[in-house]
Amino acid sequence: MRNRLFILLLVVAVVLGSISSIFAQDALVVWADDTRTPVILELGAQFEAEFGIAVDVQELGFGDIRDQMKTAAPAGEGPDIIIGAHDWLGELVTNGLLEPMVLEEEFLAKFAPAAIDAFTFDGSLYGLPVTTENVAFVYNPELVETPPTTWDEVKTLSEQIVADGTAQYGFIRQDGDPFHFFPIQTAFGGYVFGRDEAGNYLPDDLGVDSEGSIAALAWFQGMVEDGLQPTGVDYDVMHGLFESGDAAMMITGPWALERIRLSGIPYAVGVIPAGPDGTTSKPFFGAQGFMISAFSEQKELAAAFLTEFVASEEIQVTVTIGEEEVTATPMEIMGTFRPSAFLPALEKSEDPDFPAFAEAGAEALPMPAIPEMSSVWSAWGDAVTLVAQGQASAEEAFTTAAEQIRTLINEG
Amino acid sequence: MSAATTDAPRGAPSGALSSGTIGVLLRYGGLFIVDAFALLLIYMLAADGVWELAVFIAIVTIIVNIINLREDLKPLRWISPALALMALFVIYPIIYTVYVAFTNYGDGNFYPKGSLVNQLLEMQFVPDDGVEYDYTAYRNEAGEYALWLTDADGKHFFITVGNAMTPATLPENGELPESYEGYTLLPNSERFRALQDLENIAFGEGENLIGIRSGNAVASKDRYAHDAAADTLTDLQSGVVYTGDDSIGFFVDKTGYEAALAADTAADIQPFLLANERFSRGAGYRILVGLNNFERFFTSPALNGPLLRIFLWTVTFALLSVITTFSVGLLIALLLQANTPGKRFFRTLLIVPYAIPALISVSVWKGMLNDNFGVVSNFLESILNTQIPFFSDPVWAKVGILLINLWLGYPYFMLVCSGALAAIPSDMYEAAKVDGANTWQQFQSLTLPMLLVAVGPLLIASFTYNFNNFVLIEAYNEGGPPIFGTPTPAGHTDILISYAFRLAFGTGRGADYGLASAITIVIFAMVVVVTLFQFRFTGSWEETSKNV
Repeated sequence: MRNRLFILLLVVAVVLGSISSIFAQDALVVWADDTRTPVILELGAQFEAEFGIAVDVQELGFGDIRDQMKTAAPAGEGPDIIIGAHDWLGELVTNGLLEPMVLEEEFLAKFAPAAIDAFTFDGSLYGLPVTTENVAFVYNPELVETPPTTWDEVKTLSEQIVADGTAQYGFIRQDGDPFHFFPIQTAFGGYVFGRDEAGNYLPDDLGVDSEGSIAALAWFQGMVEDGLQPTGVDYDVMHGLFESGDAAMMITGPWALERIRLSGIPYAVGVIPAGPDGTTSKPFFGAQGFMISAFSEQKELAAAFLTEFVASEEIQVTVTIGEEEVTATPMEIMGTFRPSAFLPALEKSEDPDFPAFAEAGAEALPMPAIPEMSSVWSAWGDAVTLVAQGQASAEEAFTTAAEQIRTLINEG
Repeated sequence: MSAATTDAPRGAPSGALSSGTIGVLLRYGGLFIVDAFALLLIYMLAADGVWELAVFIAIVTIIVNIINLREDLKPLRWISPALALMALFVIYPIIYTVYVAFTNYGDGNFYPKGSLVNQLLEMQFVPDDGVEYDYTAYRNEAGEYALWLTDADGKHFFITVGNAMTPATLPENGELPESYEGYTLLPNSERFRALQDLENIAFGEGENLIGIRSGNAVASKDRYAHDAAADTLTDLQSGVVYTGDDSIGFFVDKTGYEAALAADTAADIQPFLLANERFSRGAGYRILVGLNNFERFFTSPALNGPLLRIFLWTVTFALLSVITTFSVGLLIALLLQANTPGKRFFRTLLIVPYAIPALISVSVWKGMLNDNFGVVSNFLESILNTQIPFFSDPVWAKVGILLINLWLGYPYFMLVCSGALAAIPSDMYEAAKVDGANTWQQFQSLTLPMLLVAVGPLLIASFTYNFNNFVLIEAYNEGGPPIFGTPTPAGHTDILISYAFRLAFGTGRGADYGLASAITIVIFAMVVVVTLFQFRFTGSWEETSKNV
């Protein structure tokens, strides 16, 4: 019996050794979402052919990347590189999961400064920006001759469109979504978190119940009370109404361009209307980019792969987008659906609407990445929904929401 | 061979000896594979520092081995795989959840203390007088690396492992030499592969070590020194000594904080936490916090404000879901039990909602019930001449969610009831008819009690399932419409688990797993109480089953 057990263990040890040697690969592991995976796969194949290092691209849902990173990286099973959004920084950096990046000035200058800002958290840069995004005012030029310049004009125009029967609705917005409400809020002088001189968000200065924020919600309450804003409008309904010509104006981002174009409806992208005193609207600015795991054991290689391969201006990859084969630099291809954060790639972009989105986002504010933001979304969105459903006045809704957020931040 | 002979069935023909041998071989083979995988798993987990799970798997594996190697434990053999899997996938998560509920585990206090210290000890810094060099890698035939360094002034140096840096001169052609002191310039094609090695090599000797950081060669030093006995970390860059404060789970500059407290009794501790570019918000670790998470949940109005109404709705929702799905399922089963023409066809058709993934069904219903744009809402509006606000009205939202759950749940009870109905002996009905019972009396006194014997436990299972039916609520309307004026955001259709989810991940400064686990345990306790209550008051099947 004892002998058998000994032999058993010996064989187990041998098997174990051989299996673990398979696991101990030195491939560069990249976690990417479905739109970037084909690009990195192509690029990785070239990298392996040239330098003999495999690039193992693992495709995950965009949001899953952050969640999986939190469990996998500390256990040593994580990737070397992830793609993600800049507003993940708060959560990831608080937990020490990201390696700060040090890039040379000359190289940094090739990126949109706002994107570099967005990927800077507490003074350190944590990502190589790939794309930028901000919402703009999208309208149907057949229904709207001259785009409105203030939100009061938006309301008057909506009334007119409905009264004339030009369309079922004038301006519509999606329910319960504070992200798309923020541009209206800032046009009226409202804000979410105050900022210090360096541009860092201050968690103690909450602006959800500021005068401007309430004024913006009061404007929206007027839209609801006058029957101009239906309830039950989610993202798909909003787009459905616009794309069938039943709504004339909305706020949406570059990610929606593809479906609007497919619908064949005439559209134009414009600057988001200003507030009553002419205050420019400031939508949220977002950036997506590559980040290096603090648990990577080949950070130098990962950084070199990003700066010399992903952000290369010479290397060309061929990827199928839709039904077309496209050959271009990785940054150019990744900048197909959203404006590239890499200026040389942005310059080459032939997208007719990106410049308009850039104009709408000229004064955009980076979406706060501070961890306190997690306490904000739900209460903030609920407040707008309560007004949309006629259950609370603008002032009540935002005052209560601000109280909720303050307690959540302090007691959560 | 003794094992083989005892394995053979008693009185078996001589051929059974070989089949017994095969059995033993299979058993050892199976055990071998299981052990191999377990060892591999333990090895990998231990390497990653996940000791708790490694030990747990080791214990489970040993128990499985004992069960399968000892003859006197033979009866347990066949259930040992199930036991092992249950231990791993049910018992361990429960133990872990209970453990987490007593810790401050969450964003900001993410790692066990030891793991955090190890991470900090790996950090390096470049002293103020440190020089950055551009580098080019060389390698000799033994595979040892060396670096050609150029500083900002254009001076050149050569450095190998274990030897001090020496000044070097660039050849007259201005290009780096192909070979130098036995080392050869690395070809471009090997540059990246070399990076994997270079990152972990310290060049030079003694105190003056040079390493590759962020694309440059720099003389970097260890950032922290750890004194395990005093539980302090000294920041060698600034000289500040940080002490582990096990009451908050952070390394704190005690001296600085006390000085600040002396000046201002309300001084914030945040500026005195050990922080660096990797842990910019302070290096926090997991600590045991006792009952703190439970205390917070029960005493803070911010957390438990709308709790009572949510609890009541949760119970109502679960009860009504069970009652509606069971009634409709039973009704259809009864209708199909009679010799309806096309009964198979209808039954197949009626199972369809069960076959479609719930998430898809919910999304479809979500669209159809939409206040202004849904097919069903518009249809109802055209008949009733008034809009049914399935999403914005608290009562209608609840009706909507019960309707959807009915759609999702009735096929299950239809199937179960059909089976159970078929099992009721038909002579009992004949006897009832002889006694003069009408159809309703038959159903009430015969069908229903007999059915409950079989279906009763499933009703309770269905109740507990719906009590925690997070997916349905999240997919339908995320608990909306919002309740106005609650201390924390909550919705009219929020059930405990969806409310708890938002509390745990949408509060404070990020995810709070400790609080989430504590709330889970509280919900678990509630489910247990409610279930026991039901078992006691619906004990009919137990009595009947005694007679079987």
